[in-house]
Amino acid sequence: MKLHYYPGCTLKEKTTNLDESTYAAMKMLGYELVEPENWTCCGAEFPLNEEKIVGLAAPARILRQVEMEGGDKVVTACAFCFNVLKQTHIALLNDPLKQKRINAYLKDDIRIDPVTKERTTDFPEYRGDVQVLHLLEFIQKEIGYEKVRSLIRRDLGNLRAAPYYGCRLLRPKGETGIDEPDDPSIFEEFLESIGIGVVDFPFKQECCGSYLSVSLPDAASEVSYRILRSAKLNGADMVVLSCPLCYYNLDRRQDRIREKFLEFTGMPVLFFTQILAWALGVEAEILGLDQHFFDPRPVLGITDKAEVAS
Amino acid sequence: MNGNGKKKRIGVFVCHCGVNIAGVVDVERVAKALEGYSGVSFSTHYIYMCSEPGQNMILETIREEKLDSIIVAACSPTLHEKTFQSVIELAGLNPYQVEIANIREQDSWVHSDKEKATLKAIKIVKSMVEKVLQNESLEPIRVGVTRRALVIGAGISGIQSALDIADHGYEVLLVEKNPSIGGHMIQLSETFPTLDCSQCIMTPKMVEASRHPNIRILTYHEVESISGYVGNFKVKIRKKPRFVDPDKCTMCADCEDVCPQIVSDEFNMGLSFRKAIYLPFPQAVPGTYTLDIENCLGLLPIRCGKCKEVCEPDAINYDDQETVFEEEVGAVVVSTGYDLYDLNHLGEFGGEKYEDVINGLEFERILSASGPTGGEVRRPSDGKVPKNVVFIQCCGSRDPENHNPYCSKICCMYTSKHAMLYKHHVPDGNATVFYIDVRTGGKNFEEFYQRTIDEDQVLYVRGKVSKVYKEGDKIIVWGVDTLTGRKIEMEADLVVLAMSMVQTDGVNELLKKLRISSDANGWLSEAHPKLRPVESLNAGFYLAGCAHGPKDIPETVSQASAAVAKVGDLFAQEQLLHEPTVVPVDEDLCSGCGICVTICPYSARELDKEKGVVKVNEVLCEGCGACAAACPSGAAQQRNQTDDQIFSMVRAILRG
Repeated sequence: MKLHYYPGCTLKEKTTNLDESTYAAMKMLGYELVEPENWTCCGAEFPLNEEKIVGLAAPARILRQVEMEGGDKVVTACAFCFNVLKQTHIALLNDPLKQKRINAYLKDDIRIDPVTKERTTDFPEYRGDVQVLHLLEFIQKEIGYEKVRSLIRRDLGNLRAAPYYGCRLLRPKGETGIDEPDDPSIFEEFLESIGIGVVDFPFKQECCGSYLSVSLPDAASEVSYRILRSAKLNGADMVVLSCPLCYYNLDRRQDRIREKFLEFTGMPVLFFTQILAWALGVEAEILGLDQHFFDPRPVLGITDKAEVAS
Repeated sequence: MNGNGKKKRIGVFVCHCGVNIAGVVDVERVAKALEGYSGVSFSTHYIYMCSEPGQNMILETIREEKLDSIIVAACSPTLHEKTFQSVIELAGLNPYQVEIANIREQDSWVHSDKEKATLKAIKIVKSMVEKVLQNESLEPIRVGVTRRALVIGAGISGIQSALDIADHGYEVLLVEKNPSIGGHMIQLSETFPTLDCSQCIMTPKMVEASRHPNIRILTYHEVESISGYVGNFKVKIRKKPRFVDPDKCTMCADCEDVCPQIVSDEFNMGLSFRKAIYLPFPQAVPGTYTLDIENCLGLLPIRCGKCKEVCEPDAINYDDQETVFEEEVGAVVVSTGYDLYDLNHLGEFGGEKYEDVINGLEFERILSASGPTGGEVRRPSDGKVPKNVVFIQCCGSRDPENHNPYCSKICCMYTSKHAMLYKHHVPDGNATVFYIDVRTGGKNFEEFYQRTIDEDQVLYVRGKVSKVYKEGDKIIVWGVDTLTGRKIEMEADLVVLAMSMVQTDGVNELLKKLRISSDANGWLSEAHPKLRPVESLNAGFYLAGCAHGPKDIPETVSQASAAVAKVGDLFAQEQLLHEPTVVPVDEDLCSGCGICVTICPYSARELDKEKGVVKVNEVLCEGCGACAAACPSGAAQQRNQTDDQIFSMVRAILRG
């Protein structure tokens, strides 16, 4: 079955392991992912300024492209992209005036083919009918946990994973989030369906430090450490998440965390699609497990090629 | 000409209402325009028609001009219709021969163009002339009163209501769904601001109620439905099987000793256990054991039957049945109380995950001398004496975005009391209160709160708590001190949440059946927020206690007594008068289609299958007119608001 999938820039650059494992896992679940043609950056942040709506143009253009290709829904694996696309969808759905103003930009689009230099104009308006789903939501609502359970090929029953939501999947509360921000359960349900043990820990919705790892790296590593420590205290073998920025802060920055907190011994951090693909029987080589700072292969029992990072 | 073929002599009185009307409408011109209009014999204007000189002018004019009906062009009829009805009654006319033409709320207050507003006023008055021309003289409908009251819910508000009604000399049915009367108040430890022991002041009331000859206590009973109308209700009451005969039970506890089923104890908020056959608490009224069938192993002696075996007075009857019976009452006091907002809604505080994060009622039980810890402050998880207790106020209250928008009103005071009592029990412990505001409006409340801070050294932190979680066996509280702007992270052994008060589960369904309205938050609505605070808009229903909104004990008791004063007003009347402007059925025209029966919101109409026509209970009819609008044959005509009258009014308006 074909399904529109918006990867987002980070998945093609810094976290190809999220992108590749998404393709692999969805293939096992019977879906062929289709990326909307000529997709651009989603904007990464949903503009909070109500008046300056030009920030909505990029995500709206992506949604229009899906609509032009005959799609009625688009899935994302990146929590950031999901958040921007979903908020854009809601903003336009509930505000016809906003939709009209955005379409005033979109209909003047000119696309110049980089090779042939051919100009395309006369784009249609965005009608607002494209549903935005995070892959976790898509699995819950459209694939169903029963089906996932029936396709599991590897037994992960001896492992315990701590689901880490971060903020983008859950907030703002209400229409945008995929679950109740203060008491979510969708990630836990997902992990249970792939047969891995689930750890409940109180920091699953706390901020990972976000962009502070650029401006105030010490502050970021402090909050990142709290999350990893709490997961470990509660008996987790790994943290599972869906956001590239959380991944960066929780995995790639473990070198800084170690420098600052000497008692920290490290913790594997995996994307939910990596653990899903692994459980579904996908080969380890295509999951990008070698890109992680803290090598997750030993905990998954992949010993032959283990090159534990320093 | 009116309906009877007699010529009417109508007087028109246009009011200035100071400048309220006259500032926009040219009242003189309105009065002039009505002179000589069909049926109008006299027309004038005056600055305040509702003033005594205004009323006297109307009275004298009626006599001098021999008027038989009048129109007062003034404010909305909700304000002064009664005034002018009594004026024309003094002149010997039927009160239904006065009509109010509303030229204030529907004209001068909503328009600024003087010319157009004046023309509109003329049209309004003319249309009322057309109506009055066909008005009949009506007599109010008279009905008797059953001088007996039903009180639903036997907490402090219900008990107080029942006692007051009984002392007035009327019979009362006091219905309580639980095995004992007492409500939440009997669960409390001590009460603010005097620190009276709650049980010590509550149990005398309970005993008094149980001994009062005019009160019939029906515990373990529920109200199924109420039909009828003010003064004449029929109540269906469901008796739940108790399986123990209260008259025979001696409370010897032999049954309890042998019962093998252990379940969580509701009276102690789940902090201790009880058996399936149990006494809710030692001072329970009636003093009898109750067999909780849901948790009993089974009534067949073959299954267990241990309690029946040991019961010496033979009080246990396994054949007890659920029964429904009907009673007649004239008035209903709704005193169903409150519930606490579910902790599950507060995921950021762990929901119900942590044993040592508890609500205020649980802490009351922990503080209570008769509670699960025997009056010592010990935390639920491991029974240790907590050395650091954090109290969080407004949990679910004053949070329109996520929870309830309203203030639960009593939490500031009981949290202050909790912190104070905790310090009395554990003088070397630390009590910290997180608050948004401290609201101490009440007699001696502020002094009490100051004492908590000054004498008992309770630390008050102004700010909200964002997260409560557990690390090891410590509870960690994250908050903010908004006065210094600093983040706070502190350890606690016990966290007490001042949970929002909410409407009792299931009450709203019952009330929908009774047609008592509730507000957006589920609390029962009073007839008028200032002037009729203890009556429901639905006649014959009265409100007492927290079912109407969060209240403390003194306020609840006051409201209960006030509601009973209103019940007394009702019972003091020989006969009740009902508005005669109802919608009868013209049996010659009625085809028996039954559309009006389904549309009537007051269940006043029913189909007489034998005759094939609809019958109307005129006492239930509130004259809303829904049936008259729906009736396809014109058989349903509202008195003094017939189709003919409405068409004449419309014609008058269109003519100008």
